[in-house]
Amino acid sequence: MSTATADHPSQTPALRAEGVCKAFVSGKQRTQVLDRLDLSIEAAELTLISGPSGCGKSTLLAVLSGLQKVDDGRVFALGSELGQLDLHALERFRLQHTGFVFQGFNLFPALSALEQVELPLSHMGLSREEARRRARASLEEVGLAHRMLLRPAELSGGEKQRVAIARALAKEPELLFADEPTSALDAANGQIIIDILHRIATTHGTTVLCVSHDPRLVAHADRVLAMEDGRILSDRRNHAPVVDSHGISS
Amino acid sequence: MVALARKTLIYEWRRFLPAILAVGFAGLLQLLQLALVLGIFGSTSLYITGSSADVWVGYPGTQSVGSGRTIDPNVEARILMDPAVLRVEPYIWVDGDWRGAKETGGVSVFVSGIDPSANGLMFSKALAPALRARLAEPDAIVVDRSAVEQLGISIGQTATINGHQVHVVGIGSGLRALGGVNVLCSLDTARRLDTDTEDNGPTYLVARIRQPNQANAVAQRLRGDKSFGPYTAWSAGDFARLSVLYWLFDTGAGAGVLFLAGIVFLVGAVITSQTLIAAVNGSVREYATLNALGVGVAALRRVVLEQAFWVGALGLLGASVLGVLLLVLARSQDVPVVLNVPAALACIILVMGLAAVSGLAAMRSLRRVDPATLLR
Repeated sequence: MSTATADHPSQTPALRAEGVCKAFVSGKQRTQVLDRLDLSIEAAELTLISGPSGCGKSTLLAVLSGLQKVDDGRVFALGSELGQLDLHALERFRLQHTGFVFQGFNLFPALSALEQVELPLSHMGLSREEARRRARASLEEVGLAHRMLLRPAELSGGEKQRVAIARALAKEPELLFADEPTSALDAANGQIIIDILHRIATTHGTTVLCVSHDPRLVAHADRVLAMEDGRILSDRRNHAPVVDSHGISS
Repeated sequence: MVALARKTLIYEWRRFLPAILAVGFAGLLQLLQLALVLGIFGSTSLYITGSSADVWVGYPGTQSVGSGRTIDPNVEARILMDPAVLRVEPYIWVDGDWRGAKETGGVSVFVSGIDPSANGLMFSKALAPALRARLAEPDAIVVDRSAVEQLGISIGQTATINGHQVHVVGIGSGLRALGGVNVLCSLDTARRLDTDTEDNGPTYLVARIRQPNQANAVAQRLRGDKSFGPYTAWSAGDFARLSVLYWLFDTGAGAGVLFLAGIVFLVGAVITSQTLIAAVNGSVREYATLNALGVGVAALRRVVLEQAFWVGALGLLGASVLGVLLLVLARSQDVPVVLNVPAALACIILVMGLAAVSGLAAMRSLRRVDPATLLR
């Protein structure tokens, strides 16, 4: 099954890919990473893309989030065709609508947790007070109310990732992209991160698209897409929490 | 707005220290070089800046104070006829050969014959009134304290200049000359020391005018008349500048200053830009994350430029503090150093220009910021 369409009744999808192709050329070698891929991602859900390393899931995330251009096909995010936007318009789109969480936490060593979260907000044109208020609220939401004034060197790995999530969340984005958010963390911290991401989708109505090969995530996703060799192999929806996280069955 | 540039600079100060030091030393080097050059070559205009004359009259085409020719003594009457002029006095310059009490070999001296009266214009700012009064004595001379050893003489001793005996009645300070030793005496003494029989007038006539700010206009007015033989007039400021520039470019020191400034700028910019580039590279993932979140590359560039600005400002601060200390030390050791506003501004422009160029170079490495590389 190469075409994935949700069996969930829904309005316009938050993200849509139509016949997307993407290849990388290294020397004379050309690797087709995404091969005529069609996909719709619904709003207010946590969608997980899982698959083995090199299956193209990170590239799919890059393409859907507008970080990379496609070779062929079209990508729509919140109704805008990303291919039609120039670099500035893409930056603007990302500033207004998207949040990112990466495997590495990528926090500035010199800034406190509160400042890390405030930093992108100040570029959104928010007032200082509003930026501060949102940053505090986001850090409280990820459970770091008492660690706001600490710098990354004073935080644990799990706490750093929660700061990174708060940084994305404070922007109040419609789209939140997470790339392997738990792979640098231990089981307990990984669990906390999964719970936070799921809660963001349900309480804020945010479209959360998460790429991971972490099997623990599968049980917490609303929808799980399994990828291999640039195509989507299966598309499964979790109607109830699933304990078994191995083996994807539709 | 979160002060990312400043907070990073403070938190990671070790990373930025080489750049701050490079900028600071570039500024300091430039500052001291300029102060020394201005101090050394400024002494060539001491005769003008140390006096209270507003207008100088001398032989046309004169390139520096020390290379004047005699003019007709009757020009003095012409100058006095100008209603703007308050006082005129002659100034005689004689190149002399000094023979002191001790064996010093030949020492060339610049004899300045001046009006020793209390209201005399020449060296009024550089010569203490008591010393000036003593010059009225026949064959009395005053020399600078920095030249005492060179002349092998002390107060009360006699020596000869151009074969004429003179005696030292005082030691002054701030009368240092370039390429020789200044010897001050009265006009009468100077006339006796001048062995050139063709000289029959003063080398210069210096004048004080009612409104010193009109010096240029008065000098221009005095220039036109040719009835007393060749002479021309300059305002004191113009003549001082002429003297300094002549020495700067005649000796090649001006080109040296510019050359060294270029080297200092280049070395400073290389070190500073490399440090800033390393700082950008060290934060490239964080910058890429900000860019993924929609913070534009232009805003990231501003962060790098702001860091360069602070590096420049801190370097400048260090250079200023150290520079002032070294200049005070140099002054106390009679090393001729002078710092004026244009020179200080030139240093500030050099240092901030260096920081700006380095910042621009570092900004180029922001091209490596690509959020897609964070997805692995």
